[in-house]
Amino acid sequence: MARFIVRRLFTMFLTMFIVSMLVFAIVEIAPGNVARNILGAYATPEQEKSMENQLGLDRPIIIRYISWLLGSDWQVSRRLGMPVKEIVISQGVVERYHQWWAVDENGDLVQWDVEGGKLIKLVRQPDGSVVQVLDDQSWKFDEDGNAYFWGLDTANRAALWMPGQEGTEYRLEYSGWIEAADSPVDYIPMSKGLLRGDAGISLRYKRPVSEVIGRRISNSLILAALAFSVSIPIAIVLGLIAGLNEGKPVDRLISLGGLITAASPDFATGILLIMIFGMWLKILPGATVFLSETAIFKDPRMLILPVLTASLVEIGYVLRITRSSVVEVMNSAYVRTAVLKGLSQRQVVLRHVLRNALMAPITVIMLHVNWFIGGLVVVESVFGFPGLGNFILNAALYKDVYAIEAGAMVLIALAVGTQLIADIIYSLINPRIRYA
Amino acid sequence: MSTASFQEDIARPKQPPQPVAPLPEQLGAARRFFAGLWKRVRDLIEIITASPTAVVGLIMVLFWVFVAVFAPLITTYSPLEQDYKAINQPPSAAHILGTDQLGRDVWSRLAYGARTILTLGPASVLVAFLLGIALGLPSGYYGGAIDETVMRILDALMAFPTILLYMIIISAVGPSHFNVVIAIAIGGAPGIARLVRALTMDIRTREYVAAAKLRGDSDFTIMVREILPNCRGPLIVDFLMRIGYAAFYIGTLGFLGLGLPPPTPDWGGMVQQGHNHMMANVWPVLSATLAIITLVIGLNMFADGVREESMRYQ
Repeated sequence: MARFIVRRLFTMFLTMFIVSMLVFAIVEIAPGNVARNILGAYATPEQEKSMENQLGLDRPIIIRYISWLLGSDWQVSRRLGMPVKEIVISQGVVERYHQWWAVDENGDLVQWDVEGGKLIKLVRQPDGSVVQVLDDQSWKFDEDGNAYFWGLDTANRAALWMPGQEGTEYRLEYSGWIEAADSPVDYIPMSKGLLRGDAGISLRYKRPVSEVIGRRISNSLILAALAFSVSIPIAIVLGLIAGLNEGKPVDRLISLGGLITAASPDFATGILLIMIFGMWLKILPGATVFLSETAIFKDPRMLILPVLTASLVEIGYVLRITRSSVVEVMNSAYVRTAVLKGLSQRQVVLRHVLRNALMAPITVIMLHVNWFIGGLVVVESVFGFPGLGNFILNAALYKDVYAIEAGAMVLIALAVGTQLIADIIYSLINPRIRYA
Repeated sequence: MSTASFQEDIARPKQPPQPVAPLPEQLGAARRFFAGLWKRVRDLIEIITASPTAVVGLIMVLFWVFVAVFAPLITTYSPLEQDYKAINQPPSAAHILGTDQLGRDVWSRLAYGARTILTLGPASVLVAFLLGIALGLPSGYYGGAIDETVMRILDALMAFPTILLYMIIISAVGPSHFNVVIAIAIGGAPGIARLVRALTMDIRTREYVAAAKLRGDSDFTIMVREILPNCRGPLIVDFLMRIGYAAFYIGTLGFLGLGLPPPTPDWGGMVQQGHNHMMANVWPVLSATLAIITLVIGLNMFADGVREESMRYQ
């Protein structure tokens, strides 16, 4: 058993590793570059180039992949020759700022800036204020005698200043384009990397993705858990009823209903339910408006339609598998024997049919996790539910690359993890597959 | 279906008796081909008519095929023509299903939308099959390192919930007819590759494959001429199932705003826009929703009926 779990864990990590490469490749290598998506269609090539430089998009793809996964702080720390540190400054309840500082030999937190060709060290004081110190002796010189300096700037980037060949930095502020002089020629954005819980800054929210995404994940898990616990018992009971009454009208009715609900696209089912319950009967909120991300607990009636929609597809699917499994078991020799030796219908069903007939649905539910999660994404978008699926969809529509990447990785990790757990549970129930 | 038809294939002589009048080599091949094709079509009809589910499904699908083919004849308005004097109209003699928020005729958009979904669906499944066969056939035939590499990549692709894969592909390359087909093909290919691989691993041990090796056929010839044709039973059933999925996903992508670019008549997009204007006029969203449901259910019932009936053959 332990060997089985270890082997499955290993393949899971391998899969996730390849998945991370695929996600990164699809999102970042694909034509239509990230800088233009941020800047819009009217940016000049110089502005685009400057933006790419500032986001670190001009670095080699392998380096970018490693930085995305494992962070860039250790790379920067090596260039600077001193450790770097991330501090979080809280203002009020939700406003949080992340700042990167280097730690100099005195233990002070420092950043740098260049003004008029002079290098200025910004030293952070314990009370949060900043003292400027002229730091011109820190310039380093290459073989040709040109001065250069790698330091941290005030916008969470490692920057390379080279006096005499300043780049021009274009920044998009609320007031429009700002052209800054004395700018660094190269940048490395600071991050801790996905594996260390930092997925980069969302281009849309201007906040770390990891802070925006947490609430969304738990909302989605609640929706999934509700839908799952509603659909599976109903599906199994209906499947049993249909299977035990094979060929009778009740079986026909349940089977047809199962086929229709399983085949209908989730969004169509959702829209029909909104029309029926929200528009015509007016008994449930038709448009589920969530004003805040925690609102799902305030009005449980809002949850009814999303859960119902997500459940219906699953009910149809599991019901059909259960039914065919029950039919198969009912026609088996051991059930015939049980009937012939005089057991009551009840005893036959409870002791012989149930256990054997439920094996197939469990397998199928396990293989069905991805389909179920895909359905949840659609349901969330139909109802405007503040979950992970909706988050990824909006990120995809706005081309918020770091949010797409993080959301996709979390969703896939959840799917793969669920499958692993289901695998282990299944191998406990059915020892035969352990050695397959 | 699989085992029965394989054995039938083994039993059937490879070369039918030569006709009395000597025919040119090519003509004989053509005749043989059409005789084979006709037998297959007859088998298929037999399978379909044996299952009431398949018949009902086929009727639902054929209705939309008919609408798609004759769209210009059965509609009076262009699907793109906007009439700002008549927006959000309920059904009337002029517009049998009313008009949408831009004054476009809903029935016209529905009919031309059937064209969109019924061409993109099969096209994407076809591309998916080409990809899947190209990956699965060598993987199952050679085994070893090739198989191991291909399978790891496919495992990773299959770890993606399908909708998620489509979302990130489309957001990266942008929505267009071509990109939707490619995205759906990439999503479907791993499943097909696994099926082809499993079938290939089974078939490569057969005697006729050994015979082909003995007479010096190249690996490529063996894969394409001996193994692939003998996979066709399960592959045909899978193909039918996947057209249903493709229609499902094309509709879903359209609804999520990741489908075809706006003026294109597209059912999923119609549902999304209709949803936003539901209170003003329920007809556009209702008709597009029912259209996609009937088409997808029809395709599913058809594929299901065929699958069950062909399993009974075993």
